[in-house]
Amino acid sequence: MFAVETNTLTKRYGKTYALKDLAFTIDQNEIMVLLGPNGSGKTTLLLILATVLKPTSGNANVMGLDVSTHPTKVRQILGIAFQEARGFWRHKPADILRFHANVCGVPKAKQEALIENILKDLELWEARNKLFMHLSGGQAKRLEVAKVFVQRPRFAILDEPTSQVDLRGKRKIWAQILRLREEGSTILVATNEVREAEYLADRVTVLDEGKSVVCDTVRKLKDSITGGDIVELEIDTADNQALEHALSQLEGTVKIANSGSNRFKAYVSMAESWVPRMTDTCYRSKARILSIRVTEPSLDDVFLHFTGRALRETTNA
Amino acid sequence: MRNVIRFIWFDLKPELRPPVWIIMEWTVFLVQVGVYGVIISQLVTGINDYRRFFAVGLVIMITFDMASHTGRHFVEHAHEGRLPYLLSLPISRSKLFLAIALQGATELALMLALPLTVTLLIIGNLSLISVIACILTLFWLGFGIAGLMLGLSFIAFKSSDLYTAIVTGLSTIIIRFSTVLYPFIFLPAQYASAAAFSPLTYGSDLVRFILGFDPAVLLNPVYAVCVLAALSASTLGLGVFLIQRLVEGVKSA
Repeated sequence: MFAVETNTLTKRYGKTYALKDLAFTIDQNEIMVLLGPNGSGKTTLLLILATVLKPTSGNANVMGLDVSTHPTKVRQILGIAFQEARGFWRHKPADILRFHANVCGVPKAKQEALIENILKDLELWEARNKLFMHLSGGQAKRLEVAKVFVQRPRFAILDEPTSQVDLRGKRKIWAQILRLREEGSTILVATNEVREAEYLADRVTVLDEGKSVVCDTVRKLKDSITGGDIVELEIDTADNQALEHALSQLEGTVKIANSGSNRFKAYVSMAESWVPRMTDTCYRSKARILSIRVTEPSLDDVFLHFTGRALRETTNA
Repeated sequence: MRNVIRFIWFDLKPELRPPVWIIMEWTVFLVQVGVYGVIISQLVTGINDYRRFFAVGLVIMITFDMASHTGRHFVEHAHEGRLPYLLSLPISRSKLFLAIALQGATELALMLALPLTVTLLIIGNLSLISVIACILTLFWLGFGIAGLMLGLSFIAFKSSDLYTAIVTGLSTIIIRFSTVLYPFIFLPAQYASAAAFSPLTYGSDLVRFILGFDPAVLLNPVYAVCVLAALSASTLGLGVFLIQRLVEGVKSA
């Protein structure tokens, strides 16, 4: 059984489709990252799974329960950290977490220790008795995700969990997310931060204009880009042209550019397989390799490849 | 049910630290009754000791304000981004609605504690039975008004400004065209017909009947009981229906 499964899931606001016929699955105990620019439908999908929004048509199941017909049961097994932490202006972080833990049924005996640990780990301990309205943006965001870490649900949903958070805070949140997965939770993270997706994801779903464009592991997504890897070579050879020709004939070569007397830039698919073939060719051609530098595509390039648009451009738009 | 109580307490606690708004409301009430009520009762001759009538009217107005506040609270939850959180909690929609309504009732009880006691003292009817009967009637009226305002809050869900405008206009009409401040029999015919549609007319006349005011200047209490019962059942039923079928947290693309 999938932890999450949607079929022809559609959400429409007037004439605008936020989600269109979305088919999407998450395996048990998996971290699935939804990658897409603002307006791609990430948050809408999360809110439908959390039973906060109702789908216009299609269905969505969480742990085998339909979100439309069993919303209360679905809410009992999931926890969600929203994109923006708002609305508790006159409450204190410790009180907010205590309330959340109580309502979500966290055992009383564990509660205080758990809250203290999470507050300390996310560096909110000093701010635990401040009013919410006096927290900084980063602190408020950390408090928002802290709710999920205190709850430790079977299915956790995190909407841009590290936006507004500094690098140190990001690493702490990522570590908590990985710990949650180790304990058996299934996790769905929506983000438009490539680095976050690469760090956390078991699989990535690229969402664009309400549709799933592609879904796979980060490695396979990168490998699926033809010519996605770049290998920069510095080779001492007597015949540049002959070597360039030989390299261009290798399996996996997309393009070879001679960028200097003995410098080559090769655009290849799956550099890890191409490089041994290249060294073999150089050996047979009596060419001496002076240096090799391999760079791989980022998820930005993956997004560009599958949607024809750059993730960063659409996010900033 | 435990979650409903937790919800009420969680929301109420910050309001009581310190309870400035309650004390302000009490102060306004005392000034109204002690200054305005005393002066105006000397000018009003058609009714015996108008201050007593006026004090009950003020209690009804506080009840109306607090019940309207419940609806506004709900719209604010939506606009401050708190509603999605509440909707994602493992509580059924009807319990969430119940919690919001009971929170309004609790705030109403706190707000009315002093004004109702003072009013009963002025009237000279501070007995256990009159206190219980008044509280029940006021809660009943409060539930009906809160249900009405929650229903309105769905109409004005997209804009808290629109909600405020509707409620301000409506409260002006509902309070002015009612027997909150003037006895029914003294109202001009056109005013009286409008007052017959105000729920506050029935709430205030029923409270006055319970407190032993002259029945000749009040509406028939049987009508009042029927209207309040119909109001609270229909508006609360409508509210539960709307929250279960229509409420969504935010509209995000």
